[in-house]
Amino acid sequence: MPKRETKKIKPSQEVIKEGPFLVAIHLKGIYMSNYTNSPCAACKFLRRKCTSDCVFAPYFPPEEPTKFANVHRIFGASNVSKILHEVAPHQREDAVNSLAYEAEARLKDPVYGCVGAISVLQRQVLRLQRELEETNADLMRYAGCLGGETTSAYGGRRG
Amino acid sequence: MSNTKHIHKGLQERLLDLLLIALIVYMTLKGGTSGACAACKYQRRRCAADCPLAPYFPAEQPKLFQNVHRLFGVRSIVKILEKLDETQKPEAMKSIIFQSYVRDRSPVHGCLGVTQQLQYMIWFAEEELKAVNSQLQLYRSQPQNGQNQNQNHNHNQMIHELGSDHNKQQEDVTSQQLDLGMGLNVNNNQSNVVTPFFSSLLPVSETQQPQMSYTYSCSEVNNNGYSPPAYNTDSGKEILTNNNNVWGDQNRFLYNNNNGGGYSNQNESCHEMKSNGVMAIQSQLVNLQMVSNHQRVEEEEADHEYDELHQFLDIIDDRQSFGDSKEA
Repeated sequence: MPKRETKKIKPSQEVIKEGPFLVAIHLKGIYMSNYTNSPCAACKFLRRKCTSDCVFAPYFPPEEPTKFANVHRIFGASNVSKILHEVAPHQREDAVNSLAYEAEARLKDPVYGCVGAISVLQRQVLRLQRELEETNADLMRYAGCLGGETTSAYGGRRG
Repeated sequence: MSNTKHIHKGLQERLLDLLLIALIVYMTLKGGTSGACAACKYQRRRCAADCPLAPYFPAEQPKLFQNVHRLFGVRSIVKILEKLDETQKPEAMKSIIFQSYVRDRSPVHGCLGVTQQLQYMIWFAEEELKAVNSQLQLYRSQPQNGQNQNQNHNHNQMIHELGSDHNKQQEDVTSQQLDLGMGLNVNNNQSNVVTPFFSSLLPVSETQQPQMSYTYSCSEVNNNGYSPPAYNTDSGKEILTNNNNVWGDQNRFLYNNNNGGGYSNQNESCHEMKSNGVMAIQSQLVNLQMVSNHQRVEEEEADHEYDELHQFLDIIDDRQSFGDSKEA
């Protein structure tokens, strides 16, 4: 059982006690692994030692074990690691979040995954576009009505 | 003796060369005609008759498999396919191929980026619809109370015969409005205003063009779109709500970010419309379209992926063009 050294954490970093034995620390996983020796969710799942240069640690904190489990089940840890290495460090968090979203969607709907959501949204966009077109046409018709009257009323002055 | 040995050695070398060449020719011929799928080719294994991936990864499109292999891996795909019915498998593979393609094009955001863009488009269309509806309401209430009504009455009095009573004029006005609504053929100057009413039938006017191209791009999606017939809508909505709850922060930021410029312009032009009447409405509509254009220019980088998405949807239908589109 790794010892949790909460005293070493900087004072600005927020520490919330959720129970007598559970301390949830709102930090990036890298700090967790460095300061508290608690392995990230990925290393815990894969049962390996979480080193300071662990690529998963900043994005898979131990408090969210399902996030990594989902991603690992769908994409595999090696693929995720490859993708993370290909992406610039400042974009990795976004990449992990999108992968986690896609993995969750695929687990919920193995047939369509997140593509199903895209399909629904596309239809919604189309419906709105059609509605907008119709409303615009109505507006144009009104504008045409008043336009015809106005030009006929002020035709002499404008023309 | 030495001569015969030398000749013997030379013959052996030639034979070895010939064997090598034959082997190479045999292997290339086998590779070309065996019909191994892209998955088996990539993994350099024999493609059996019951290869589960062969129907989805033709040998001519190795990139398709590479994308899927990079994101999912063969084991994951086979695992996903194993749980599904025969009828669901092609759909699942389509979605997997699409997802992998999007990830290849956008390694950071993947499908989530596409989802966010679509959500933004929906938000934008809803706001635009609100604005147009409010103007429409304004227009509907204007002729009853506004000055135009009186002017029209005076005008009608001038046009129509002098002795006609007020009720008759009202009827004339309404009938005139209805006629004008149906099509303003009499007044040639205003033909541009009316044209969009028949936008699906008639050639598009200059002011309407940007918006039409916008709608066209969307209808293009629909035509070639990913329309799963047996799609479970509830699960999709569930995913969306989850998306909003869990990963929605960036989303909101995006919305707030883009909220600034466009809509305030619309409001300004709305005030302008109140004061200047009809011409202002035309300019306001142009403004609306300008705003949507401007928005698109701002989002050009992001829309890019979306455009490519459409291309890919084409490709799903007609995979022959995949190579060309990738090169392009």
